[in-house]
Amino acid sequence: MTHASKTLTPEQADAFGRELDALRQDVIADLGQRDVDHIRRMIRASRYAEAGGRLLLGFGWGPASFALGVSALGTAKILENMEIGHNVLHGQYDFTRDPDLDSRSYEWDIVCTGDGWRHSHNYEHHTFTNILGKDRDIGYAFLRVGPEQRWHPTHLIQPVSAALLALGFEWGIGAHDLRLDEALTGKQSRAELWARARPFLCKAGWQLAKDYVFYPALALGNAPRVLAGNLLANVMRNLWSFAIIFCGHFPDGVRMYREEETRDESRGRWYLRQVNGSANIDGGKLFQILTGHLSHQIEHHLFPDLPAARYPEMAPRVREICTRHGQAYNSGSLWRQLGSVARRIVRYAAP
Amino acid sequence: MNLAHRLASTFAERLFLDRKAAFWLGELRATWSLREVRARVVEVVDETRDTRTFVLRPNGGWRGHRAGQHTTVEVEIDGVRVRRLYSLSSAPGDRLPAITVKRAGRMSTWLHDRVRPGHLVRLGPAAGDFVLPDPAPGRLLFLSGGSGITPVMSMLRDLAARDAIGDLVFVHHARSHDDVIFSRALAALAARHRGLRLIVRFGRFDESQLGALVPDFAERETFLCGPPGLMARAEWAWERAGASSRLHVERFGAGAAPAAAAGAMVTLARSGRSFPATASGSLLEQLERAGERPAYGCRIGICHTCRCRKRAGTVKNVLTGALSSATDEDIQLCISVPCSDVELGL
Repeated sequence: MTHASKTLTPEQADAFGRELDALRQDVIADLGQRDVDHIRRMIRASRYAEAGGRLLLGFGWGPASFALGVSALGTAKILENMEIGHNVLHGQYDFTRDPDLDSRSYEWDIVCTGDGWRHSHNYEHHTFTNILGKDRDIGYAFLRVGPEQRWHPTHLIQPVSAALLALGFEWGIGAHDLRLDEALTGKQSRAELWARARPFLCKAGWQLAKDYVFYPALALGNAPRVLAGNLLANVMRNLWSFAIIFCGHFPDGVRMYREEETRDESRGRWYLRQVNGSANIDGGKLFQILTGHLSHQIEHHLFPDLPAARYPEMAPRVREICTRHGQAYNSGSLWRQLGSVARRIVRYAAP
Repeated sequence: MNLAHRLASTFAERLFLDRKAAFWLGELRATWSLREVRARVVEVVDETRDTRTFVLRPNGGWRGHRAGQHTTVEVEIDGVRVRRLYSLSSAPGDRLPAITVKRAGRMSTWLHDRVRPGHLVRLGPAAGDFVLPDPAPGRLLFLSGGSGITPVMSMLRDLAARDAIGDLVFVHHARSHDDVIFSRALAALAARHRGLRLIVRFGRFDESQLGALVPDFAERETFLCGPPGLMARAEWAWERAGASSRLHVERFGAGAAPAAAAGAMVTLARSGRSFPATASGSLLEQLERAGERPAYGCRIGICHTCRCRKRAGTVKNVLTGALSSATDEDIQLCISVPCSDVELGL
């Protein structure tokens, strides 16, 4: 597969990195009230949407209030997971020193634990982005999304397994941290597996209790309606986050790397890998917020710890720097990127 | 009871009910909180041309203070929480607590420029052992300079309110007549209480005149608060008089001067260990070389796994070149190098 990006010499890569560092500094110097106001607005929106959704489900009647309740609760969960949780856990708001926005203590409303995520996502995925054998987020270690990955007969059913993953995406990323594949091949001992599984099972138990026991119980006679509504809201969040996240690294034109290529990688080359290993989704402001600004996956991978709401204003400069240095800047509509991911999942199911 | 309480709080936390409760309480009324002391500034009083008193109305979480204690005041400056200690200048029995702030330094200047009645601040619990013994000693000396008058003013107001002024000499130093904080309140108290002898001096504290002003100074329980020069000379005078045990002092954050990086000491607050810093390598590498095992991830400053509370000292962020010298700031160990003695919350 050919890639549109030019190969840079070490000096050119350093120059590329210096320009991105300068952009980063400009934004850091400007961080302040505007960023805090934004994230607090998001928290407020998510809280009101959640309360509204739960009230409609618990005390409303008829299909219209049910649909509205599911949409409100699902939107609240999407906001909490994507625009608030994911970004706070990245340390984007640590500069505020607000304990409610603290990356190390924040716990999000999803079955995946904050601690597991901080390790597998913040550290592994963001450091070793798209390096085969090191980034376990490539196809979530069981899907083949590119020809660079070795084919295995289990990949034949991957169109089905990908669809199942989409429906239960929070369970997929929660279980992803357990490294079940390594336990099966003997690379992980039972004790290690248990150490990883225990906090996950504990959090998952509480999450199930919250959405499928506690809130239904509060609604008394309306319990079945609340239970069904909560389930649908969770599925709505799962499908949406799956779609957005799969568009970030798996569409056509995104590069994968071999470990040898990235040995003794300079900062400039690390930036290059982030640009070439990520893809953006075009969309308006509301769309960007609902994706947690992962519509700007490239900017997110270059600057994972800068407030995500800054990515749209940084994007033109990033694109300009990339163009000038001969680097492809992969951006397309949601349907184009999603279609491309779907085609690849089907195509690479076969050898 | 304890177990029930613990179960309830685990339950609330795991179902995210605690943070929802915190949010909705705050929506109903901004000062309402179960977790922190929030206070509304209800009055701002000009004391001198560069000193103001902020009268606060805290929520029910405020547990009061003893005269002479300080509290942490936290405000948000351009989106960033900033905190500093201020002595309470009100008496414990007053209806509302107050702090008195001289315009100096970033936070105090900001309080002067931006805080008006209605502003919300966060408070820590009152703390500090610069307090009067109970019962109050018969013979007392208060020695203060400049804005160092605030904690002893609280003591004086407390004694006056309890009508417990026996034999008290209050020696205060100010730059000029106009710079005397609380001058009217002091004059009124001196007129009402015969046991209070008020001496206001202009210019530097001169320990050689102390014997003439207060001949029995060494026999009095003394409470001292003022600028570093005054404090040092007074402490020396009390030491020579063999009366150090009767001298009680309150120091305002006079940080140690930054030392050179190499040869500076890195101290770990939790284990009490310290080791000399070297000129090369990030703090993370230096800690590891010293046999410590702090948490880390990417080692290039992106994942924040190694974030750590710096209690004191100055470090430099090698990516941005920014210096962090305030107390209690979070730093990333993998991209920080020490510029002075550093104390880490490890």
